[in-house]
Amino acid sequence: MPVFNRHAMQPVPNLDEQARQDFVSSLRAHLSGRLMPGAYKVYENRVEPGFRAANGRPPHDHDEVRKAMTQDPFYQFWSAMQRRSQELLWESVIDPTERQLSKLIETSKAITRNAGGAGRGTLRLDPSLPLPRYHAAVDIHLQPGGYHTEFAEDDVAAGVVYDKGINLYMGGALGAENNLMGDILLAYLREKHPDFRPKKILDLGCAIGNSSVVWARAFPEAEVYGVDVAAPVLRYAHARAEALGVPVHFSQQNAERTDFAEASFDLVLSHIVLHETSKSALPRILGECHRLLSVEGLMLHLEIPRGKSIIEKFMHNWESYNNNETFSRFMTGIDLKAEAIKGHFAPERIVVDEFAPKLDVAQMNYAENFFWKILAARR
Amino acid sequence: MNDPMNKLTTQARLARVAKGKRPQYFSDPATDKLLSMTMTLMEELSVTRERLDALERLLASKQVVARNELEGWTADAEANAERAAARAAYVERMMRAMHAELDEITRRGSPQTDIDPLDAVGS
Repeated sequence: MPVFNRHAMQPVPNLDEQARQDFVSSLRAHLSGRLMPGAYKVYENRVEPGFRAANGRPPHDHDEVRKAMTQDPFYQFWSAMQRRSQELLWESVIDPTERQLSKLIETSKAITRNAGGAGRGTLRLDPSLPLPRYHAAVDIHLQPGGYHTEFAEDDVAAGVVYDKGINLYMGGALGAENNLMGDILLAYLREKHPDFRPKKILDLGCAIGNSSVVWARAFPEAEVYGVDVAAPVLRYAHARAEALGVPVHFSQQNAERTDFAEASFDLVLSHIVLHETSKSALPRILGECHRLLSVEGLMLHLEIPRGKSIIEKFMHNWESYNNNETFSRFMTGIDLKAEAIKGHFAPERIVVDEFAPKLDVAQMNYAENFFWKILAARR
Repeated sequence: MNDPMNKLTTQARLARVAKGKRPQYFSDPATDKLLSMTMTLMEELSVTRERLDALERLLASKQVVARNELEGWTADAEANAERAAARAAYVERMMRAMHAELDEITRRGSPQTDIDPLDAVGS
């Protein structure tokens, strides 16, 4: 059963709901850990030899691999089951959330009632903020309603569902507070810039603030801000952080252009966010990072590797074609350094790194030999 | 499934189907639906077995019902009605793939689930 810190902002599942979540967890562990490696074997032993026999050459690129693999009966069945497991995952979390939503909204209001005082966080919403098309055109990761749909007044449902959903998504490997992404980027900072002591930190596309909280815990003397375009996840993020006793200042803003003053942060971050944006938004977000950073300030973006061989590239794009991770497949061909230059960073101050942090056993099931991609730049 | 808390005690209803065109995995779309239903069935069977297991352990530990006594039990009218309602909700979950298709058809004209995810970010 995945480890999860069931704080005040999480619903209590009943017996059957708990059993559904446990089933989804077991199912996904099997699909990812046992059957997904089979897709690589099927490629090596059946699909690639079949392609050679038919064309007199191996496939040129991951698009050719995709055309061949999507005809393979093993791949088809695994892929269809992987898709269905993602749908079941959300359903298993939505049921208890819907049942207890009014109580969760009341809890959220009670927790945040006296926010803003010493040692407390804040929340600033902007109902007039337009949702970017890349965010709202489809529901990212198949979460019904996405991050942004409001089902009730003062709604927190999207955040409640997302928090437990991503915990199940990696069978608890994200940690009891879904802290793994923040931990990885923090480990990178400590390894590469051990003396860096940020005073003001901004987490872009923070969603439920699970990574923002990691940074606020790591640098208690720093002020931590988080922005996202979606109100219900921010309401939840605020209540969650307050429930955990960690001060974070959340606001509803588009990372392409925020209302923060120029040079007002010394550390600007994002955690697996860039691949959810778009070709035009990406350089604008990096340009905004440049504007927001003070001299010698640091920008760090954690990204998912896109694979080295053509079969890896194809498999890494599964989420793009099957899990509404719309932009991620375009990231395969994108040069992050060139994008950062478009965002006005000096070429010699940009690094695109691969980083493999030490992982625990649960994480290894999902991330063995997994090199995370990090875009780092100094102002 | 017999939990009375499951009967609509909140006014808000959350969405159960994500916006965005669902890929077709097999040459016959019926196969896609059958697989979806089979996996829900797998899930519900697992849920039921765990519930039954919990109950049998509880009863045995309290020395109320020995495990072999369950075999001779029959439902009365009230239990039958509750079990019928629970079965209806169960079938509803099983048929989600069909309802999703109906939703897609009835929403046509106000584009919702027929948006191609990749078109949204290609430019």
